[in-house]
Amino acid sequence: MKAIIQRLHLTHPGHFVGGLTLWSIWFITIYGGLSVACAVAPPDPAQGALTSINISLLLLSLLTALLLAGLAWGCFQEAKMHEGRRHFNAFVSAWLYVFSAGGVMFVAGPMVGLPPCL
Amino acid sequence: MTTRNPEATGPENLQKLHDDLSDVWGNPRGLKALTIVNHTTLGLRFMVTGMAFFLIGGILAMLIRTQIATPDQNFLTPDIYSQVTTMHGTVMMFLFAIPILEGLAIYMIPKMIGARDLVCPRLTALGYWCYLFGGIILCFSMVLEMAPDSGWFMYTPLSSSEYSPGLGSDFWLLGITFVEISALSAGVELVVSILRTRTQGMALHKMPLFAWYILAMALMIVVGFPPLILGSILLELERAVGMPFFDIAGGGDPVLWQHLFWLFGHPEVYIIFLPAAGIVSTIIPVFAGRPIVGYGWVVFAITVMGFVSFGLWVHHMFTVGIPQLAQAFFSAASMLVAIPTGIQIFAWLATLWLGKPKMKLPMLWIVGFLVIFVCGGLTGVMLALVPFNWQVHDTHFVVAHMHYVLVGGMLFPLMAGIYYWLPLFSGRMPSETIGKWGFWLVFIGFNATFLIMHWTGLLGMPRRVYTYDTGFGWDIFNLLSSVGSFVMSAGFAMVLIDIALHFRYGKPAKTNPWNADTLEWANQLPPSPYNFVSLPPVETRHPLWEHPELPQQMQEGKHGLAAADHGRRELWGTDPLTGKVREIIHLPGNSWWPLFAAMALAVVCISLLLRWYPVAGVGVLIAIGFLLRWSWENGAHPRAAPDAKVMPGDPPLHSRTMDGPGLWAMTTAMIANGSFFLSYLFGWFYLWTVSPGWRMPDASPLSLVALVVAGVALLGGSALMESSVSKLRKQQDSGLAMRLYGAAILGALQFALILWVMWRADLAVTETSHDAILMVGLYYALLHSALGAVISLLQGMRVGYRYVGVHAPFEPVVVAYFWRYNAVVFWMLIVALAVLPRVIGS
Repeated sequence: MKAIIQRLHLTHPGHFVGGLTLWSIWFITIYGGLSVACAVAPPDPAQGALTSINISLLLLSLLTALLLAGLAWGCFQEAKMHEGRRHFNAFVSAWLYVFSAGGVMFVAGPMVGLPPCL
Repeated sequence: MTTRNPEATGPENLQKLHDDLSDVWGNPRGLKALTIVNHTTLGLRFMVTGMAFFLIGGILAMLIRTQIATPDQNFLTPDIYSQVTTMHGTVMMFLFAIPILEGLAIYMIPKMIGARDLVCPRLTALGYWCYLFGGIILCFSMVLEMAPDSGWFMYTPLSSSEYSPGLGSDFWLLGITFVEISALSAGVELVVSILRTRTQGMALHKMPLFAWYILAMALMIVVGFPPLILGSILLELERAVGMPFFDIAGGGDPVLWQHLFWLFGHPEVYIIFLPAAGIVSTIIPVFAGRPIVGYGWVVFAITVMGFVSFGLWVHHMFTVGIPQLAQAFFSAASMLVAIPTGIQIFAWLATLWLGKPKMKLPMLWIVGFLVIFVCGGLTGVMLALVPFNWQVHDTHFVVAHMHYVLVGGMLFPLMAGIYYWLPLFSGRMPSETIGKWGFWLVFIGFNATFLIMHWTGLLGMPRRVYTYDTGFGWDIFNLLSSVGSFVMSAGFAMVLIDIALHFRYGKPAKTNPWNADTLEWANQLPPSPYNFVSLPPVETRHPLWEHPELPQQMQEGKHGLAAADHGRRELWGTDPLTGKVREIIHLPGNSWWPLFAAMALAVVCISLLLRWYPVAGVGVLIAIGFLLRWSWENGAHPRAAPDAKVMPGDPPLHSRTMDGPGLWAMTTAMIANGSFFLSYLFGWFYLWTVSPGWRMPDASPLSLVALVVAGVALLGGSALMESSVSKLRKQQDSGLAMRLYGAAILGALQFALILWVMWRADLAVTETSHDAILMVGLYYALLHSALGAVISLLQGMRVGYRYVGVHAPFEPVVVAYFWRYNAVVFWMLIVALAVLPRVIGS
C-alpha cells in the first residue's frame, strides 16, 4: 500500500484536480450512459427503478466512490507525514477527494428510487 | 537569487536605474499609444471600456423598466422591446461583466505576484482590440435598429433564419465570437502568468487568494468558452449557408444549441462570480486586520466551484423533456455547489468575527454583497428543485434570482474592489460621503427592484413580454420595481460622480493607505509602467504585514532583476509549485501587430455580416499574415533578445531553455482547442443518437484509406518534430532545418489528402445535418494540418536565420507540442467520423 501511495505522489497539487476530474468523468458517463441506454433499449416503465440500467450505473457509482475514498485516505496519510507545502497540498487534496466521493453518492442517490427513462 | 545592484545603491545610480527601466518599459504618447502592450494601461482600458458598456446596458435596463412600469404601455414597440431586452443581457454579460473582471485581473495579477507584466503582453493588446471592435460592432446593430431580439441566449429555432430573418442574430453570433477571442486570450495568459511568473519563493500555497480565484476563472474561460464558440459557428453556418444543425427537417436538433450554450452559460456565472469572490477574500482580511480564516478551505472551495459548475448546465433545461432521473442528477449537482459557496461565506464571516472590522467604503459594498448574494444563493437552491423550477420557469422570479446572484455576486464586490484599489489607480482617495450616498441608493434601489420582482414572478408574470393587461395583480409591484430601478440608477450616478471627482479633488493617498498585506501596494501610487524596480523574494502570504520595509527596499533596487541597461523587459520565470527561479523571461515590447491583426479580424467580421465572402477571405489571409509576422519577432530575433547575456549567477533567458512560458501558453491554448473539439464530438454523437430526423447513409461518404494515409503523414510529421526536439536536447542541431521542412511537407500532404476526401465525399451540406457536421469536422482537421505545415516551414526558415538552433532551442518544443495535439485529435476524428459509422451503422 505504501508503495502505491508513494507512486501516486499524493502531495503534488495535481491532486487538487484529480478527484474532481474523476467526478466529472463519472458524471458525464452516467448522464451519457443513461441517455444512450434510454435511446437504444429503454426498459419497461412498470419495472420501476430496479432496472439493469440503474443497477449498472449504481455499481459504477459505488466503484467510483470507493476509488475516491481510497485516494482521500491516502492523501490524509501523506498529510500526516509532511509539513508546509506538502502537508497543505495533501490536506486540501484529501478533502477534495472526500467531497468528490460524497458528490458521487449524493448525485447517484436518485437511482435508487427513480425509473431511468421516464 | 542575485541582486543586480549592490545594496548601497547611491541616489545617482538609483535615478539611472529608474531612467533605464522607464526607457525600456515606458508607454509612448500620441498615436503610438495604440501600440502599448503594458498590462497596467491595458487593464485600465479594459475597465474603462467595460464601464462604458455598463452605462449602455444600464440605459437599456431603464428602458425595459419604463416600458413595464404600468400595464398596456406603448413606450416601446414589441420589436424594439425584444431588441432592448436581448441587448441588455448580452451587453451586461459579454461586454461588461466578463471584460471588466478580466481587466481587473490583467491590471492586478502581475502586481500581486511580484511581476512586471503578464507573460504575453501582445496577446493582452490583441484581446483588448478584439473586445473593443467586437463590442462596437455588436452595439452598432442598435443604431441600425437591427439588434438581435431572440434573448441573450439566442435559442433556436427563434434565432434561426426562419424566425429571425434579419441581421440581428448574425450581429450577435459574429460579434460575440469576436469578443470571445479577447476572453480566451486573457484566459490563456492569466493561467500562464500565475503559474510561471510569480516572484521568487512565492510557492503555490503562499499565493494571494485573489490569484487562486483568477487562476480558476481563467481555466474556466479556457474550457468553458469553446462550446459557445462552436455553437455560434454552427448557427451562423446554418443561417448563412443553410447547414441544418438545429433544424429538425434536416436531421438537426434545436436542443443541441441549448446544450452548447449552457455548457458555456452556466460556468460563465461562476466565471463572473469567482473573481468577485476573490475581491471579497482580499478585502475582508485587510479591513478585519487579520489573515483570512481557512485559507486552505477557501482554496478547496474555489477548486470545487471550478469543476462542479460545469456539471449544472442542464438545470437551465429542466422543461425541455429530459428523463426524470437525468434531471435528478443535475438537481443534486446544483445543490452540491452550495457547499463550496457556504464554506467561503463562513470563512468570510469568521474572519470578520475574529478581527476588528473597520467599516470603510469598500467594506460597505462587501456587506451589501453578503446580504444580497446569500439571498440569491437561497433562491438558487429553490430553483435547483425540479418541481419548483417548472412552476417558476420563464417568470420574473428567475429574472430576480439571476440579478440577485449576478449583481449581488459580481457588481457589489466589483464596486468594493474599485473603491479599494482606487488609490492604486489614481494615487487619490475617494469621498466617503458621496460614496456612502451612492452605496445606499444602489442597495435600496436594487432590493426595491428585484426583491419585488420575485413576487411578480410568483404571481405568474412571464419574462420577456413587452406589456401586460391590468387585473393580474402585477401592476403595483411592477411600478414599485421600476421606481426602485431608477433609485438604483441614481446611486450608480453618484458612484460615477465620486470616482470622476476624486481624480481632481480626492486627497492624495499615503503609501499603503488601507494597511494591506499584498504586494500590489508596494507600487508607487499610481504605478510606474514597470511596477517594481526590483523583484523581491516572498515566502509569506502577507508580505507587507510581515515586512513593512519591503516596498522601500524594492524601490531602492535591493532585490532581483534591478537592471535594464540590456534593453530587455525582464521578469522571473519560476517553478509553478515551489516558486524557485528557473529562468529570466524576456517580454516583447510595444507593437502595432496586435492592433493590425484585430483590425483585419474586424474586417472579417463585418464582411461576414454583409455576406461579402471574398472580402472576408482576404481579411482572414491578412490577419494570418499579421499574426505570423508578429510571431516572427520572438526568441533570438534582433527585436526580441539577440544576445543571451545575463549577469553572473543569474539563470538563462527563457528563449535559451526548453521550457519557457510559450510552451505553457501552447498547452493552455490546446486545452481550449480540446474543449472545442470535444464539444464538436458531443454535437456529432448527440445528433447521431438523439436527433429525431437524423439520416445517416448506409455507406460512409468518407474515404477511410485516404484519411488513414493522411493520419500516417501526420504521425510522420509529428515524429520528425519530436526527433528535432530530442536532438536539440542533446545539443545537436545538424539537419534541424531539413527535419522541420520535412514535417512541413508531411503537413502539406495531410492537407492535400483531407481536401481530396472532402472533394470525393460530395457532401450535401445543406440537406442533412449528417453531411454538414462531417464537413465541419473535416474543415477543423484541414485548418490544423495547414497551421502545422506553415509553422514548421517558418521554423525551418528561422533555423536559416539563426533564430533557432542549439543556442535557442525553445520554439521547436512548442511547435512539436502542437503536432502532438494534432495527431491525437485527427485519429480521434477518424475513429468518430469514419470508423464508428462503418462499425455501428445508422
